Amino acid sequence: MSTATSDELAANTGSGRPAANHPGAWAARRTGFWVLIGLLTVIFVAPLLWMLVTSFKTPNAATNPDGSWIPHPFDGSSYRNLLSLGSATPVLRWFFNSLAAGLANTALILIVDSLAAYALARMEFVGRRAIFATVVGTIFLPGFMFLVPNFLIVSKLGWLDSLWAIIVPSAGGAFGVFFLRQFFSTLPRELEEAAIIDGANQWEVFTRVVLPLARPALATLAVLSFLTNWNDFLWPVFVLFSSSNLTLPAGLSTLQSAATTNYSLIMAGAVIASVPAIILFVIAQRQIIEGISRSGLKG
Amino acid sequence: MNPLDTPLTRRGFLGTVGALGGALALAACGGKSTPPGTGGATGAAAGGASYSGPAVKLAFWNGWTGADGDFAKQMVDQFNKANPNVQVQMNVYQWADFFQKLPAAVQSGNGPDVSVMHIDDIPTQAAQQVIVPIDEIAKALNLSGSQFAPAVWNGGMYNDKRYGIPIDVHNLGLFYNQDLFDKAGISAPPTNESEYLDALDKLKSKGIQGSWVSPFQFTGGFMFQSLLWQFGGDLYNSDNTQATWDSDAGVKALQWMVDLVNKGYSPKNVGQDADYLALKNSKNAMNWQGIWQVNDVNKLTSPKIGLAPLPKIGSQGGVWGNSHQFVLPRNGSNDSNKQAAARYFIHWFTQHEAEWAQSAKVPAETSLQQSPEFTKLTDLKPFAQEVPDVHFPPAVAGIGDATGKLYDAIQAAVLGKSDPAGALHSSANTATGILSSNKKKYG
Amino acid sequence: MTGTVTAERTQSQATPVRRRPVRGHGVATPYLFLLPYGVLFIGFMVIPAAYGIWISLHDYDYLLPHQPWVGLQNYTDLFKSGTRDSADFWNSMKATGIFTLFSVPFLVVLPLGIALLLNRAFPGRTFFRAVFFTPYVLGVAVVSVLFRFLLDPNIGVVNTYLHHLGVARNIPWTTQLPWAWVSLVGMTVWWTLGFNAIIYLAGLQDIPRELYEAADVDGATNWDKFRHVTLPGLRPVMVFVITLTILASANMFGQALLVTNGAPANQTRTAIMEIGQVGLRQYRQGAAAAMSYILAVVLILISLINFRLLRNRGEA
Repeated sequence: MSTATSDELAANTGSGRPAANHPGAWAARRTGFWVLIGLLTVIFVAPLLWMLVTSFKTPNAATNPDGSWIPHPFDGSSYRNLLSLGSATPVLRWFFNSLAAGLANTALILIVDSLAAYALARMEFVGRRAIFATVVGTIFLPGFMFLVPNFLIVSKLGWLDSLWAIIVPSAGGAFGVFFLRQFFSTLPRELEEAAIIDGANQWEVFTRVVLPLARPALATLAVLSFLTNWNDFLWPVFVLFSSSNLTLPAGLSTLQSAATTNYSLIMAGAVIASVPAIILFVIAQRQIIEGISRSGLKG
Repeated sequence: MNPLDTPLTRRGFLGTVGALGGALALAACGGKSTPPGTGGATGAAAGGASYSGPAVKLAFWNGWTGADGDFAKQMVDQFNKANPNVQVQMNVYQWADFFQKLPAAVQSGNGPDVSVMHIDDIPTQAAQQVIVPIDEIAKALNLSGSQFAPAVWNGGMYNDKRYGIPIDVHNLGLFYNQDLFDKAGISAPPTNESEYLDALDKLKSKGIQGSWVSPFQFTGGFMFQSLLWQFGGDLYNSDNTQATWDSDAGVKALQWMVDLVNKGYSPKNVGQDADYLALKNSKNAMNWQGIWQVNDVNKLTSPKIGLAPLPKIGSQGGVWGNSHQFVLPRNGSNDSNKQAAARYFIHWFTQHEAEWAQSAKVPAETSLQQSPEFTKLTDLKPFAQEVPDVHFPPAVAGIGDATGKLYDAIQAAVLGKSDPAGALHSSANTATGILSSNKKKYG
Repeated sequence: MTGTVTAERTQSQATPVRRRPVRGHGVATPYLFLLPYGVLFIGFMVIPAAYGIWISLHDYDYLLPHQPWVGLQNYTDLFKSGTRDSADFWNSMKATGIFTLFSVPFLVVLPLGIALLLNRAFPGRTFFRAVFFTPYVLGVAVVSVLFRFLLDPNIGVVNTYLHHLGVARNIPWTTQLPWAWVSLVGMTVWWTLGFNAIIYLAGLQDIPRELYEAADVDGATNWDKFRHVTLPGLRPVMVFVITLTILASANMFGQALLVTNGAPANQTRTAIMEIGQVGLRQYRQGAAAAMSYILAVVLILISLINFRLLRNRGEA
């Protein structure tokens, strides 16, 4: 069992480091390592590269089974179609809708879930176990069955065709509460008790002691929530109507049809959508990994 | 070239005659609490021949993703420019999403003001009161059954009320790869079974599998239905209480498709869309494909794709087809101006039916199929020729639930998972059960 | 619930603190903390879920004026052969089961291997981390369309290359078993592997360096260290990954819908595809809700077994 505490930051990268006591074995290992990582990279990058190449092909060349890696003729019309002003498929607009909805949804989840999780982890009250059991139980219900009921609820709230429908309802999900509650349970109680003895009230304990300690767990939950929201497909397709209000997955789905699939257009849309996301990841990956470490994953 | 510069105004002012009677009943149909067609509020305008009310915005939803949608958008732009006081905002969804979204939106009072759907979706949506009767618009437009193929006209009806105004017919035709035909020495597209098999043999001798059979609805399901009718069968019995695709004709039709695979005229395991993509990449020579792909193949510089009527494999003509029809969703806003404007928009669109045909459709009205505006679209001629042989899906609520079982059976047989007779028989039994449970539900 | 028990037990083993919390708050305080989430939870989870039970007791079509009460028939019909949905539903449950069975081991083991590789210090590490994570930011629709074309049996690029290499011809990746499962599992692993790998990477940061140093002093091999330090240290992370992955796999539908469309003969049609078809396309929400609840009960049972197994192993 891990004994790490939160002030010890993730400087450790050596858990898989080879023993390195023999120079020849060391070189062989290093070669093996690079061969392995190179092979994996090819497997992972090839489809992505194919996506990029396809996006610059003409629609017919995009479906040619000969599998050429060089677009010939080189055709940027898919990008022009998607990015042109007044386009019926404003990909950048969808991107910013997704970004805005994802960030707002994440913020909402962090606030309400941490409050609830703290109460469930640390306070004594009537119905605590029953409430927690109910919350956890809903994790297992397939999201599908909530579509129609939630559609009717959201419509009563006047949120159809607005980003509120993407931001608010999913914050009722149980995962974050479960996750944070597990984390709070593992925090040492002494700090909180000391704060209470010093005269702090429960709100001050929560905001000044618990939340700072929980920063890694909150970061983890933020990433998980944001990505879930970012990739959600079914619900946005259902509740958003106008082209200008769509999120990215919902928007990209309108590029497809049962009868014809314009591969180069879809791939161009995917490229436009993923490039900013990849850049964000590269910038944030260190924080993400350190955030997830020593979070509520200790069971 | 802007195809919309010369609008057809043939019916331009005929509509006013029947309009007044229609407007009264029609304007009432929008209320959420008012059952459709029971009358109530007074109309603000005529049944659709014109609109002179205050400026309104209309939401127009359809499932025209891809090229159809681009074309429809051009027409909507044209309409908006010509009618500053009616601004139409078009939203496009995939058909599969469309039929989840539209009913939910209508039910919650957020539906669009005007919409489009296929013949076989109309009864289901009508039974669920997602769309309202529009007999009055048909009257205002002076439309009558004699102007259309009977199945197209009757397909817009449910329980003796009209819900759909037909704007096109889109049917299957034979798409063939001219380059491969030249290579194999085939001089003309085949018109019957022996010519078809002869062409396939010539192609085979050049190492080409000439007629790829798709195990999916697009296009294997459509091919099967065409063959079924050609062999004298039908999907359902006359009162649509029983699935009959397991008849001898059905077994023959499916066996014929499976034989194409078994004899090596088609590869095994054709993936989704692969039959058509292979045609465009000169791997496949013939594809029973929908008219909606005509503009797509015309964009190709090479190979050249030829178009012809479906060959008559069986004893009679038989071609799968469907029709887009305008419908009016039940509207929560209860705004009689919007309703009047929506009727006017439908009116305008049907007047421009021959232009809509340029998106690769056959006009729904038979007279327009002879009009110079349409006949100059020579690529579409083979499809128009077929219209007398076109069969449409039956107009019964929930029919898609039953026909879905047929597509499962076709897939199982074409992929070699079941024998054709067995697959058809068990799926027809299941479908008959679905028909009776749907009848109980929808009445 | 078992998860809670596990957590409390772990905690009491690790740090022998008192079990009863100090009451440093008023009677109303916990409820005030719960309130904001409670509103959302009741509004968007409890009410719809309860509504779902109500729906499942009717022949329900929310668009029709009358919803006939059918009691438990929607449930009992699923357990009776020859009814409209029973064969299709259990067939789809089987498909979901197969997918889960084959995808979960890969999605638990492979990301761990990748995480161990990426945990070393080497030039370009950030780049490689991004490489493995990138597929996940692409939505399921894009990934599915991409693979449907790459894997097409006759005109797909993968088969073209396999043919050129002389390996095989026309493998029916999307239309025959077992290939369709290979494709669906493979593309799902490609798509989501990076996500699990990142969680493992974080877990690896959490294992105290001293334990490895102590093992080195004892002359442990790399394999010893992996077995006796890394794996035990990652156990909680692994429970988390397994649980999340099982739930995600059991809810799979986008890939199957777009890549195989259920082929061959509905054998890759998953439970969620079936529920969606019945509920949203056939407008029979009653039957669909009953199916959803049966799926949920199965998932709860599996998760309970999962927690129990992992807990026992941890104690052994």
